[in-house]
Amino acid sequence: MHLVRDVLDQKLLDREDCEMGRVDGLVMKVGERSQPRITHIQIGGTTPWMRLHPVFARLAAKLARMWGPKRADPVRIPWSRVMTVGRDIKLDVKARETGAIDWEIWIARHIIERIPGGGHEEEG
Amino acid sequence: MKKALEITLGIVTSVGGFLEIGSVTTAVQAGAAFGYHLLWAILLGTVCLIFLVEMSGRFSAVSRHTIVDATRERFGFPFFAIVLVGVVLVFFMVLVAELGGIGLSLQILTGIGFPWWAIPVSFAVWLLMWKGTFGLIENGASILGLVTISFVVAALKLNPDWGAAGHGLLPGLPGDDKAKYGFIAVSILGASISPHLMYFYSSGAIEDEWDKTYIPINRFIAGFGISFGGVLSMAALVTAALAFQPNGVEVDTFEQSALLMTTAFPKWGFFLFAASMLFTCLGAALETSLAIAYFFAQGFGWSWSEDLTPSKNARFCFTYTIIILLAAIPLLVGIDPIKVTLMSMALTAATLPLAVLPFLFLMNDPIYLGEHRNGWVSNTVVGITILISFVLALIAIPLQIIGG
Repeated sequence: MHLVRDVLDQKLLDREDCEMGRVDGLVMKVGERSQPRITHIQIGGTTPWMRLHPVFARLAAKLARMWGPKRADPVRIPWSRVMTVGRDIKLDVKARETGAIDWEIWIARHIIERIPGGGHEEEG
Repeated sequence: MKKALEITLGIVTSVGGFLEIGSVTTAVQAGAAFGYHLLWAILLGTVCLIFLVEMSGRFSAVSRHTIVDATRERFGFPFFAIVLVGVVLVFFMVLVAELGGIGLSLQILTGIGFPWWAIPVSFAVWLLMWKGTFGLIENGASILGLVTISFVVAALKLNPDWGAAGHGLLPGLPGDDKAKYGFIAVSILGASISPHLMYFYSSGAIEDEWDKTYIPINRFIAGFGISFGGVLSMAALVTAALAFQPNGVEVDTFEQSALLMTTAFPKWGFFLFAASMLFTCLGAALETSLAIAYFFAQGFGWSWSEDLTPSKNARFCFTYTIIILLAAIPLLVGIDPIKVTLMSMALTAATLPLAVLPFLFLMNDPIYLGEHRNGWVSNTVVGITILISFVLALIAIPLQIIGG
């Protein structure tokens, strides 16, 4: 498996096939005597913007603290939760419990559901 | 039977997707100013678009990814962000132009100025997306857009000089006004090779759950549908060449364009033109808004589908809501939609490499396409056309700006 080609930027699905973003970053542990290994997947927050430039990351963090679910930190999912790496990456988690779709839920509840015909995000 | 219906609808969509304010305005200006001499630009744009649309459908049918998905995955977030900014800015200008086109059509039909239509038109477009399904958007506006077949009837009624028209299919340089000629040629290429159609078509293939069995159908739809659209656009140019050029009419306003078919149809020409523009711009506004929302949602891995209830893909619906709202503002303050159209078409041509070159790389990637990846013919046709459009745009846009 090539980490950059097969993992970084791939789409993430939870165990119920709910879209929960993309792999914006990877956390690696480098031990003195052991081989480097991936410990976590990072989703959202400042992670993708940091890859562009730290200025964008600072801006994204500032905006995230002002508005929405007020979450500026990226979501970290342990690598041990990765079920399959293929066309998408499937994780053994429930998306709404990880915080990865906090923005989706916030926009649905605060904006979309208030517009007639918007429906309810928790309906089956 | 289901696939036969899909072929029919696909062709109708391609026809509807091709013609919009950009292609009609540029074709009419070209015909009025240079007769048949710019037919080659429509032909070149049409051939390139056939290849691009076929490639978009094949890519999604085989890889089960949209173009945006694969751009983010293969090239990474920093490169994706650059493409996102460039493409979305141009798409936004196109959306303003299309909403303006609907407003101008209503203006000539009712006499009420287009700025007054900015809010009702934007609301109607948003409502269709909010309540409608992908099928309704894909096919509804396009079927109404078939009224543009009247361009072909008008051109035939005016007895064109087929020899001269055939000569116009080969590129040539005019005696004078080279800057204007170049700018209109670039705008025609930008209007014909609309990248939003690529993203819309690729997302549609995923929405409609295409697989490899759709490859022949996809080829047929792209070839036949886009060619038909190209013929309609050429018919608009030919009609303008016959109705306007002999009288020395320079088409600078939408009201002048609206007289396009009155020579062929004195009674109905005006209304046919207004209806044609109204329906085609409506279809294009829906497709462009969706293409922008698809770009964000797919690039960031949000849930997206035009067929879901809005709260089930909240960020996707929020994106097109905001975009449509923002696009209404320039029209509300009275910005000239025709100027926006011409500039957005030229900028589309200038930014084609940004949208198309990464896609060409993806189309040659065995990881996504295996044995179905591009051959040298597709690569050469698309590569050369994009290069011509880009170089022409680099030369013509500054000349046009300097020359006013």
